[in-house]
Amino acid sequence: MWSSFFTPDLFASAIRMATPLALAAIGGTICERSGVVNIALEGIMLVGAFFGVVVTLAAQASTVAGIAGNAVWFGVVAAVLAGIALSGIHAFASVTLRMDQVVSGTAINILALGLTGFLMEVIYGHPGATDSVAHKLGPVFSFPSGSTGILGTIWTWVDQIVFSYTPIVYVAIIVAVFAQWAMYRTRWGLRLRALGEHPRAADTVGVRVLASRYSAVLISGALGGLAGANLTLEQVGSFSENMTSGRGFIALAANIFGRWTPVGSYLASLLFGFAEAIEIRMQSFQNVIQIPVQFFLMLPYVLVVIVLAGFMGRAVGPAAVGKPYEKE
Amino acid sequence: MSETRELPVVTEALWARVLRTAGVPLLSVALAMAIGSIIIVATGHDPILAFGALFRGAFGGPMQIGWTIMRATPLMFTGLAVAFGFRANLFNIGAEGQLVLGSFAAAWFGLLLGGLPSIASIPLILVGSALFGAAWALIPALLKAKVGAHEVITTMMFSWIALYLTSWLVSGPLMDKGGIPQTSMLPASVWLVTLDKIIPGLPPVSAHIGFLLALALAALVWWILKSTTLGYQIRAVGFNPTAAENGGISIARTTVWALCISGALAGLAGASEVLGVQHRMFDQVSAGSGFGFTGIAVALLAKKNPIAVIFAALLFGALSAGAGTMQLEADVPQKIITIIQALIIFFVGAETIITWLIKRRQKLALEKKGAADVV
Repeated sequence: MWSSFFTPDLFASAIRMATPLALAAIGGTICERSGVVNIALEGIMLVGAFFGVVVTLAAQASTVAGIAGNAVWFGVVAAVLAGIALSGIHAFASVTLRMDQVVSGTAINILALGLTGFLMEVIYGHPGATDSVAHKLGPVFSFPSGSTGILGTIWTWVDQIVFSYTPIVYVAIIVAVFAQWAMYRTRWGLRLRALGEHPRAADTVGVRVLASRYSAVLISGALGGLAGANLTLEQVGSFSENMTSGRGFIALAANIFGRWTPVGSYLASLLFGFAEAIEIRMQSFQNVIQIPVQFFLMLPYVLVVIVLAGFMGRAVGPAAVGKPYEKE
Repeated sequence: MSETRELPVVTEALWARVLRTAGVPLLSVALAMAIGSIIIVATGHDPILAFGALFRGAFGGPMQIGWTIMRATPLMFTGLAVAFGFRANLFNIGAEGQLVLGSFAAAWFGLLLGGLPSIASIPLILVGSALFGAAWALIPALLKAKVGAHEVITTMMFSWIALYLTSWLVSGPLMDKGGIPQTSMLPASVWLVTLDKIIPGLPPVSAHIGFLLALALAALVWWILKSTTLGYQIRAVGFNPTAAENGGISIARTTVWALCISGALAGLAGASEVLGVQHRMFDQVSAGSGFGFTGIAVALLAKKNPIAVIFAALLFGALSAGAGTMQLEADVPQKIITIIQALIIFFVGAETIITWLIKRRQKLALEKKGAADVV
């Protein structure tokens, strides 16, 4: 039984499931490092997922071959733009208006729920779920399966765990590494970190606090939108209401567990992604294990609480996070 | 210098205070409705027809007013729950989860205690629901108090855990015969009766005595916050935790009490729905009640004031009660209500615009005054 449980696909599944969490978590990291809490990631992801599908469905119905053939890419761009637009509201509310950032984030989450549900009925005439897109984003590589024997087995593992993914999965890994480099090795990163620790000091040495915070929030919006695109255009293929089901909040926990660093966020997301992969795998073993499916489904959420409980005491976030900045 | 500073503050404060207590919330609702209208127009519908239908659906007659009160009742409980947390600087975003546990407790105890007279069973069930709601908030509260884990993440996670846990309970151990994931119908002895049963002369309405309970609780919460030691501690911690701690108040203890009481209030929302409206518990995973989230909007619109929660809840209850009629008559999807809710939170929260304007005016007045003094 265990050999059919711990297959290469289980680990590949963990990396796939980690992807939306990681993108949102890295977005959260950049945002919080600049001093702005972004609990709106849940809604940003939801809106990205929705507009990704809406634009893909519209584009694939186009009679222009170039558009219909690349429909899903238009969807990805739309998802990112939708994420940026929604995070723009958060930036305006929390940076310019100095509104309570958690309240603004909550309002955006509720807005995202209402907007996607409302537009779904306006566009498709029914609540619930959209149609599936004709073509999801496919795997980047496709190699022939290897020969039999031990070499064949090794190749199957490598192929599954390294080469089996769709584009956004690889993008997430690149984003994690690149953001880590940018945060600790560039002037942009130094300034970003200074903003979240001591904005007054950053201001006095000439960092434009408000503009920099805006850009950090918008970057997190783009990443959140991309996370949504991964959910609908790579994983599921269609949109259903409230389909993010708490992933934005799990991503925030991953950001904390990853100690507010991009690579740390990715690795923490991998842990939660693995829990999700196990959950999915267990469901297919349900007749063997005899545990109600709901207990698997709650696994990722329970893991988040356990991780926060065991780890939180030692995690210290940016000093000025959540505090609006007022120029003197 | 100090006298010149006093003057403009006093003259400004009158209209500013009027604006702040009632003006900002009312203005926020009006602005949110206006933007809602723009969305309705943009999607090719008639906003006047839509809001007309919504108004008739919420207030068109005794039956409609009954719906509004029925919908407002759980929102009063969740609104009080979230507002209570806010007072201690806690954001109970997971009130939904505590509500679900309260619903479950009501259904479970309701099935067990059906044989008792109502006067004994109903209070017991309500206490049970409140305890289950409080228990569901206890772990996030302890984590917040002991290790500083943010309650926004933990209560949200507990919400999802609650949904799956009760989903299993109503589709497994407590499932009704017939294979639908729901409990059996509760015995009528534990139902919260509708208001027409106790108020002679009232036509049949769906509003139930849970509404009166919610009114009483609003007053109780107001009294706890205003006149008890715990209320004082909660307000002190919410206002300035460092000062409170220096004054000898335990932040950890106050946090745990505040979040658990908040959870108890949310749990009662679940009991009120199960005993007063549904008379059984359904699987909530796919739909969820949404009362927890709307409770946040209610608490913010009420500006964390327990008495104002009553009116804010009635407003959202009216929107929710009228939404069906609006969809039926004007073909506008009910979800527009959710959008309006979010907009109201924005406008109430963005009160800083108004205070910023007031400060600016004061500053200008001061500068003018200062310049005049020098001349």
